[in-house]
Amino acid sequence: MVIQEPVQAAIWHCLNHYDYNDAIFLAERLFAEVGSDEALYLLGTCYYRSGKPKQAYTILKNKGVPSPQCRYLLARCCLDINKLSEAESALVGNILHKPRSQDDMVNEFGDVACFAFSLLGKIFSKTERTARATESYRRSLKLNPYLWSSYESLCHLGEKPDPVKMFQVNSHNYIPPENVASSQNTPTFLQVSNTGSTTNTAVTPVMSDYCTPVPDNSSTLSEIQQHLFSSPYVSSQPGNTTEIITPSQENIMDMTPISNPAITVSIMNLSSSAPAQSAKKQFRALHSLSPLTPNFGVLPLDLSPAVCGQLSPLSHTSSSNLLKVPGQEIKTLSKKPMTRRSQQQVTTSHPKPAVFSQSGNTNSNTMKDVQSPVQQIGNNGLRRSTRLFSASSSSVKENNKSPTQKKFAVPKAPAKKTKSKLSRTQQELNEINKAEMGSVETKPPPGVTTCQIQVELLQKQSAEGLMTLLQDIGRGYLALAQYDCKKAIQLLSSLPPHHLNTGWVKCQIGRAYYEMADYQKAEKVFMELRQLEPHRLDGMELYSTVLWHLQREVQLSALAQELTELDRDAPEPWCVTGNCFSSQKEHDVAIKFFQRAVQVDANCAYAYTLLGHEYAATEELDKALACFRNAIRVDPRQYNAWYGLGMVYYKQEKLMLAEVHFRKALTINPQSSVLLCHIGVVQHALKKSDSALQTLNKAIAADPKNPLCKFHRASILFANEKHTEALQELEELKEIVPSESLVYFLTGKVHKKLGNTHLALMNFSWAMDLDPKGANNHIKEAIDKRYVTDDEETGTGDEPSVLEDPIEGSSNDSSLMEADDVQLQAMETDEEL
Amino acid sequence: MKVTGTPDVDPYKGEREGKLREVGNQAVWSLSSCKPGFGVDQLRDGSLDTYWQSDGPQPHLVNIQFRRKMTIQDIGIYADFKTDESYTPNRISIRVGNHFNDLTEVEQVDLNEPNGWVMIPVLDIHQRPVRSFMIQIAVLSNHQNGRDTHMRQIKIHSPVQDISAAKHPSFTSVDMSQYATLR
Repeated sequence: MVIQEPVQAAIWHCLNHYDYNDAIFLAERLFAEVGSDEALYLLGTCYYRSGKPKQAYTILKNKGVPSPQCRYLLARCCLDINKLSEAESALVGNILHKPRSQDDMVNEFGDVACFAFSLLGKIFSKTERTARATESYRRSLKLNPYLWSSYESLCHLGEKPDPVKMFQVNSHNYIPPENVASSQNTPTFLQVSNTGSTTNTAVTPVMSDYCTPVPDNSSTLSEIQQHLFSSPYVSSQPGNTTEIITPSQENIMDMTPISNPAITVSIMNLSSSAPAQSAKKQFRALHSLSPLTPNFGVLPLDLSPAVCGQLSPLSHTSSSNLLKVPGQEIKTLSKKPMTRRSQQQVTTSHPKPAVFSQSGNTNSNTMKDVQSPVQQIGNNGLRRSTRLFSASSSSVKENNKSPTQKKFAVPKAPAKKTKSKLSRTQQELNEINKAEMGSVETKPPPGVTTCQIQVELLQKQSAEGLMTLLQDIGRGYLALAQYDCKKAIQLLSSLPPHHLNTGWVKCQIGRAYYEMADYQKAEKVFMELRQLEPHRLDGMELYSTVLWHLQREVQLSALAQELTELDRDAPEPWCVTGNCFSSQKEHDVAIKFFQRAVQVDANCAYAYTLLGHEYAATEELDKALACFRNAIRVDPRQYNAWYGLGMVYYKQEKLMLAEVHFRKALTINPQSSVLLCHIGVVQHALKKSDSALQTLNKAIAADPKNPLCKFHRASILFANEKHTEALQELEELKEIVPSESLVYFLTGKVHKKLGNTHLALMNFSWAMDLDPKGANNHIKEAIDKRYVTDDEETGTGDEPSVLEDPIEGSSNDSSLMEADDVQLQAMETDEEL
Repeated sequence: MKVTGTPDVDPYKGEREGKLREVGNQAVWSLSSCKPGFGVDQLRDGSLDTYWQSDGPQPHLVNIQFRRKMTIQDIGIYADFKTDESYTPNRISIRVGNHFNDLTEVEQVDLNEPNGWVMIPVLDIHQRPVRSFMIQIAVLSNHQNGRDTHMRQIKIHSPVQDISAAKHPSFTSVDMSQYATLR
């Protein structure tokens, strides 16, 4: 066992610093040497993290997967390489191997259970077992309310999870365990950690250890380690390198979920190597004070021991990839400065960052799906922590009266309105610090107890702070997923400004405007988003569609160029490029790009939808149908794919089918006025004009700004011979959309029917004026022709003068007059012939 | 009719305006003869550097057969006298019909030292774009009485027909058209 620990720690160290080649090499040696489960898991992790899921899958499969982590990793690999059934059997077992129930899974997977359930939910939703998928997601959320991606997936499946209930700190016994790495070392440790709830009494003795006088600033790493090794139940025995007994580890573990891992792991690593001093020294040598890792750089980091808690909050910063940062960071920050100091010293030792970033990486792996919200909330947490931290550190500084050579890489805590909870925690922090200082100097134990209570209180408050945020965001997201866009915008806009100005929130708001067909506002929001986060890919395909609708070709092509430079392996840049070419009417090229988007990511339903639209534009209707169906296969709630199917059937004149599909789309997105408009048109084509008018009325009620509904209503009224009402509609329409030639064209037709020839011609000439080379030109010519022939039958010589006078009077363009004259003359000559 | 291809004729104009569509991809192309390596692929590869070279007796034929009746508005042929000289087609006959034995000539075009795209409108007796299953482009003679012919590119354009044009009129202003479809 001696050989394993330093090597394992070395491998984790490599992994945490993204040196995958070394990590793989070492892991392979380790596995060859000790063919244990942990070594297998380590090797698998190395392969998986370096982006080789297939290799990880192969070795895990070949060697068998006894331990839960190995099974979880195997399931992840299988999901990545699209072997869903194997993934499922790895997690749950299949009929042959006694399928496990949810509770079994919880017991077996322990801390990883929440991620296992999330993964399971993904598998179920991909294999169309929606009920089980929702069950799994809910379970995963219950076990770990920080898993935003589970909540998101629930919303995507059409469920209506209650964000208030989902994001509850108290409703779970969840302590984010960061001892995944440590679990390799001692399975017992893992079991210990599972026993869960903090025990005050157990903590106290440990606390006393931490509350012992801090070694001076110049303490070296070894001293720190030695200090740590001193027995927890005895006051500090510097230089004592006794092994820490398991109970203390347990206590430490229980005491501070976040801080624990650092200490515990380091303890674990160090303690297990304790027997072999040489090994330990070697270990230490391996893990000399690490240079500033990204985790360190994030928060103000003072490596001097005097300043408390930078490292532990840092370690927690690593876990800031999880959403627990605010809570835990604050809690650790708020906790005893002593603790933090000693922790900091401890954590300066290498294993801690290794472990933490590793756990951070693990978490970030699971968070793969939801990067941006995590980042956003992580940032939020960071901000909070920096705020707290600067407050606490300053207070601690004062208390300690120790010179600190801080190189504060402090991200300037923005002067944003802090939540009341936070300010409270800051005050409490100060109080605690003072209290702790006093208590430490006098009698450790009482100080420790107050520390403990205060710590827990702050812990809870921070976690609750985050949970409140998640609840707010969750409500907004749920509204959006149900396409209740106005409510979603309202809810999301009521978030505090420092969250409102993040990419994810802006993206959701932009999406809400897009779903409401309010493309101008959506464009504005997306532009702000681009300025805020030019690196963001999520939601860019929606932005490109907005630009497509608004026909902003220049911006589209600029966006396409920027995004393809950014990342060629994501579907969004290719979707944007496709939209760009589609707006230029180069549909074949657009098809190529959408196909590329689909190739890059077969799970992008929207790429399929766009591809379907392009095929429909090039009249390849069968392929269009296939694409839309693919989109629905990937995401049944993709209502624009249902709409696309309806459109294709409408083009093929299969009107009943068209209506069915439009209605299905409407059930998903009930407030879309465009959908209602289309249904109205289809109904009119089916000769159900009354229901058509009703539907159009609904559409107009849903979105008064949609001129198309009025236009269609006017044309239906015209078709039903209700000319005056049609005229009224058209007059209103002229106010709304003064530059649309078809409006005038229709008005002209109505007037013609009513016999107002001069008004009709006036409108026709206006229409032609607005659209001289338009595709509808021939219709106009045809109408003019018919009009003229009608008049020819009734009157003879009067026409030229009658026709010409209004033309001269109304049309502004002399060329138009000539065109009209020419037409009339041509028609007249034809008639003569 | 007599046409002279000019460098500034743009075959993509109709497509860009959304009025025409290139439908050659929906057809089966065949040639009366060709030299190995200079066949249909070179004729349809979008590159003006590669060409079809015939290898048999005149008239040289390009047969374009569609799966369904297509409305053809015009045919674009790229011919360049400077590079092809005696291989440049001189007289081209366009025939349409349902199948090989049902072709009738709708257009005969004389090219005089063309140096670019030649767009040949294909209209029936009513001056409307012709509707047929098959088109045959026959090269009746070449410049300088050359035997074989080079043809660099051929494009077939069909008008964009919105079957439901009346029901789904194409709007001219952005304000209306943005509500016209969901995407």
